[in-house]
Amino acid sequence: MIRGRAAVGLVQLQPCTDLQRVFFAAKAKSSEFHSRKSIYHWARTGESLQSGAEPMTSATSSSVQSGTAIASFWKRSDVRRNVGAYLFILPFMILFAVFNVGPFFWALWLSLIRGDLVQPVKPFVGLQNYVSLTTDNITLTVFKNSLQYTVSVVPIAVITALALAFLIGNKLVRFKDFYRSVVFFPLLASAAATAQIWSYILAPRYGVMTYLLSFVGVPEIYWLSDPTFALYGILLVEWWRGIGFHIILFLAAMLGVPEELHEAARIDGANAWQVAIRVTIPLMRPVILFSVVMGTIWAFQLFDTVFVLTNGGPVHSTATIVWYIYNHAFRYGQVGMAAAMGVVLLLIIMPISFVQMRVLGER
Amino acid sequence: MAQSIFNRKTQKFIKVLPQAVVVYVLLAALVITMLGPYLYIFSSSFKETYTLISIPPQLFPEKFVWDNYTYILRELPFSLWFFNTILVAVLVTVGTVFIDALAAYAFAKKQFWARDFLFGLMLATIMIPGALLLIPAFLITNKLGLLNSYGGLIIPALANVLGVFLLRQFMQTIPEELEHAARIDGCSDFGVFWRIILPLSAPALATLSIVVFTSQWNNLVWPLVVLNDKDLYTLPLGLALLRSEFQVNYGITSAAAFLSVVPLVIVFIFLQRYFLEGLTVGAVKG
Repeated sequence: MIRGRAAVGLVQLQPCTDLQRVFFAAKAKSSEFHSRKSIYHWARTGESLQSGAEPMTSATSSSVQSGTAIASFWKRSDVRRNVGAYLFILPFMILFAVFNVGPFFWALWLSLIRGDLVQPVKPFVGLQNYVSLTTDNITLTVFKNSLQYTVSVVPIAVITALALAFLIGNKLVRFKDFYRSVVFFPLLASAAATAQIWSYILAPRYGVMTYLLSFVGVPEIYWLSDPTFALYGILLVEWWRGIGFHIILFLAAMLGVPEELHEAARIDGANAWQVAIRVTIPLMRPVILFSVVMGTIWAFQLFDTVFVLTNGGPVHSTATIVWYIYNHAFRYGQVGMAAAMGVVLLLIIMPISFVQMRVLGER
Repeated sequence: MAQSIFNRKTQKFIKVLPQAVVVYVLLAALVITMLGPYLYIFSSSFKETYTLISIPPQLFPEKFVWDNYTYILRELPFSLWFFNTILVAVLVTVGTVFIDALAAYAFAKKQFWARDFLFGLMLATIMIPGALLLIPAFLITNKLGLLNSYGGLIIPALANVLGVFLLRQFMQTIPEELEHAARIDGCSDFGVFWRIILPLSAPALATLSIVVFTSQWNNLVWPLVVLNDKDLYTLPLGLALLRSEFQVNYGITSAAAFLSVVPLVIVFIFLQRYFLEGLTVGAVKG
């Protein structure tokens, strides 16, 4: 029974480890190149099995003697044999170039110019947009909001998720799969639908939240229209929306911890609390770190919920980095400022993503 | 003997009982927190306008009415938004899975010049936040004349880097012998891909389909910048519009929000496994 559960846990975590393999597979490629030549490959090309590693070397050395680089490139047996491979990646690569790589460099360029989306000629202003970002009042508010939101939501979400994962993972709980499905439900709805749902629940006066809080003596809070609380109203909605992700990850990791380790700790006289703190959580560390990193990346990119619920207001109290980018590009006609903000967002996200890759790599 | 075993069991039961009560009370609270909001808007979508703002709020409507549903279906282009969302999500899913599978096959099973460079490049783009690409992607879509059209929603979404990673990982585990056997039987490159690799990759294809479909179904930002015409709106965009136009008519917004979630809930109930597997895959892009 426990074994079965543990296996399920591992299966769900597979994509993480997969990514790690992706990440490091690239490094190992050159050595793999020869070893992966198959028997069929040799049978078809007529190269002898003994000289398995030879074909490429000989092709390379002969290419030095035989004229132009292009011709020698073409003569390399591995290139000629695998022209078909390019046909396979072609559709993807075209789209990837047009909608990923191209836009990236274009965005860098846009951050150096001034103008709106429709203006045909946009004057080059160098780094002035970046300088403006540091002096503009709204940008400072935006940075402050995004930072405040991130440092609030990530610890809250991760700690509550950890507690809830321990709750569901408790030995007394039967039908764990049911609870896992339940916490998945909020992940299904779009941010727009979630915002609709919660705008009613958080509504002043006749909202359910006001009603429930009145039982514990909390006065009426204008969750979405009071500048002091609006960001926390958003936080509440996003917490509800995202908590399932963390719980499911933690649950999988927790159930994957071998039962023997728990038993060993208990035989040594540890109580349940000590087992959790000293054994289970340390073993879950990579997953927790992954959760923190993902939560941080999402938190800095908060937009949908803000757009639908408060649209940055009241008085910019929920204006986030991505809200700024959207509005300056598509409403205020300041593409340069928006792109510069995008680059700043990239610079914030990149080191965090790097940690993400490292975490995945370690596992 | 039997007596003492019984006693021991009873003792153990009494010992864990307080803990079990606490655990199950907390679990009940969790279930209410997670599902309550859905159930509440479901019940609210049948409320009459004046009971929506009654104090204290009513958990169940005094009188069930269908007015909110008839309003969004008759007076608003809601069914059109529904259709648009399904069309776009299905086409993007099918297209992405096919294009990604083609590329993943080459990356997993073939040697070619610049393969590792291209793969590394793809890996690096995962770090780029979507908001940075939003403006130039919009400008490119504009240049291609795709603004305010289904094409503008579908085509830019077709190249999914994470999909290639996922499928490549899976395809690498398919034994080469199968491929060789097919080739000896006279299969072409595409034949191997279509008849051997694709069918064997079904679980990974299903996971990717779910991830892509869900993210398309819920996508707000891209439709928001690409579309003008209300008749082309997708559900998330329509919901956002309702929020600004029917700010306080919670019956209408509840009915619309509920209808927009139902299809995914149904898919989820039947294909839960792939949703759970896809969770960490979709997570990487954010």
